[in-house]
Amino acid sequence: MTVGGMSNVLAAKGLRKSFPGRGGPVEAVRGVDLRVRAGEVFGFLGPNGAGKTTTLRMLATLLPIDAGSAHIAGVDVRRDPAEVRRRIGYVGQVGGADLPATGRENLLLQGRLHGASRAAAARRADELVDVLALGEFVDRRAATYSGGQRRRLEVALGLMHSPALLFLDEPTTGLDPQNRANLWDQLRALRARGTTIFLTTHYLEEADALADRLAIIDRGRVVAEGTPAELKRQVGGETVLLRPGPGPTTPDRLRTLLDEQPFVRESRLAGDTLYLTIGDGSRTLPRLLAALAEHQVTLETISLSAPSLDDVFLRTTGRALRDAGTSLAVPAARQEVPA
Amino acid sequence: MTLLGQLRLLWWRKMLETLRAPVWVVMGLTTPLLYLALFAPLLRRLGGGPGFAHGGVLDTFIPGILVLMAFGSGMGAGWIVIDEVRTGVIERLRVTPVSRFALLLGSVLRDVVTFVVPALVVVVVSIPFGYHPHTAGTVLLLVLLCLVVAVTSAWSAALGITLRDIGSLAAVVTGLQLPLTLLSGILLPLSLAPGWLRGLAHVDPLYYAVQASRHLSAGDVADVAVATGFLVIAALAALTLVWATRCYRAATA
Ligand SMILES: Nc1ncnc2c1ncn2[C@@H]1O[C@H](COP(=O)(O)OP(=O)(O)OP(=O)(O)O)[C@@H](O)[C@H]1O
Ligand SMILES: [Mg+2]
Repeated sequence: MTVGGMSNVLAAKGLRKSFPGRGGPVEAVRGVDLRVRAGEVFGFLGPNGAGKTTTLRMLATLLPIDAGSAHIAGVDVRRDPAEVRRRIGYVGQVGGADLPATGRENLLLQGRLHGASRAAAARRADELVDVLALGEFVDRRAATYSGGQRRRLEVALGLMHSPALLFLDEPTTGLDPQNRANLWDQLRALRARGTTIFLTTHYLEEADALADRLAIIDRGRVVAEGTPAELKRQVGGETVLLRPGPGPTTPDRLRTLLDEQPFVRESRLAGDTLYLTIGDGSRTLPRLLAALAEHQVTLETISLSAPSLDDVFLRTTGRALRDAGTSLAVPAARQEVPA
Repeated sequence: MTLLGQLRLLWWRKMLETLRAPVWVVMGLTTPLLYLALFAPLLRRLGGGPGFAHGGVLDTFIPGILVLMAFGSGMGAGWIVIDEVRTGVIERLRVTPVSRFALLLGSVLRDVVTFVVPALVVVVVSIPFGYHPHTAGTVLLLVLLCLVVAVTSAWSAALGITLRDIGSLAAVVTGLQLPLTLLSGILLPLSLAPGWLRGLAHVDPLYYAVQASRHLSAGDVADVAVATGFLVIAALAALTLVWATRCYRAATA
């Protein structure tokens, strides 16, 4: 399937899924459209319960699709799920490694179940042991692996048959920062080798660091889509952080003073730190400094930060992506910006 | 890849799992040997009495013990499946082209092997103590009991994958195990039982397996109880395997 010269590995339209629940059905996915292009890392960002896993499970043929359509590598997911399974790799949120077996046994079995000969499976396993740096532990039983080692094995399992598209459901959840950074490096290396990856995450940094394009999902709907840069540009503002030094200007007074300036869109005070949302930082900052000089304000700190994906989430949903549990440069508590 | 090829791979995965935890193999042997050592002596005096028509007591008792072993061998399958659902293994395998039937049968065949090996040990060990198994009959007996293992293994796996909770699975399995065992006449022949109990036994599929087993062990291969036993158990095996395969197909976690 080709649209605008770019080949889509995945194209989904109007996906829906509801589960029976007490007090009426739970609408987990409510009309999701997605496109993933060959060779890209596509991020699916959303808070807990947004519907990421449910969407993925429908695409991976694990859950029947209630409504809508999906094609993967040109194959209709509803009509020919068996063929789709041949073309995708799927690494679920809970894992999937067979713990009593060694990593290599896991890899070989996965390859052979996909129809590879013993020799071909062994070759492919060796390749993946290299790419994902499994060498140290691949011949040990998977039950003895650390969280990061297990996750790497699981990613390798998803890749044994060189799928057209690899689904990763929260690949780094539960990993410490060191292991997360390692896995990011390995995912980048896979991308460089041409693997197309669809990953879900509730970490903003992860989507920002890995995804070429991303969709933000909230309560079963895609609320924003684009490259991380595009999405941040939509927010259209940058944030200045100010902390007044000793002197007559209290943070409160500073806020009153700056609120009068035409280039300040919004302000928020947290403790003794003032956050301002301004337009184009490179042009506005000199005017801000001039205004501060005019009123003889001394500063302890001043810094400028680009909009983050959290700002995007906040703007599109009116809520902060707090579940992510990441520390952000700017605490997100700003009210919704009028578009 | 052919169904047979898949089956071989999936069965071997399960065999490795068992071989690496030999404690289960040992446990599988201790129960029947304990029965032999601590329960069979109680029956000695009953030899020649009602219900023990064929010569030695062990000739009535050992086939029953073998049925008990077959019945127990498959029952653990559900626990393992719950673990595999929880760790995502089933889900991962379901996103491969592998046949769901092969997925189920891989673990059923492992249970068959872990039944047959200790069963042979029990047969051989009992011979010096006065067990007189008929050779061809015993081969057929083991075939019948492999079908019993298939029924319990597939049934337990299907329950595990459906209930997805160890507590509920344990409740169902243990709740059924005792009445089925008691009604089947495994420990003592039902010919000792009052009429109503003998009647009730006919709703227990295990009863037919036990009846057939005693005849097979004695070499009465042509007895109608043998044919009935095979019919009941084979039909049950077919039903259970179809149902369990469906459960594998629909499994969500
Ligand atoms: N099998 C199910 N039965 C009933 N409700 C379900 C089922 N699976 C998911 N849900 C509900 O659907 C909604 C979406 O769940 P989903 O697992 O897709 O979220 P998610 O975005 O993956 O969240 P997380 O980041 O926590 O993994 C939730 O409200 C969840 O409770
Ligand atoms: Mg999820």
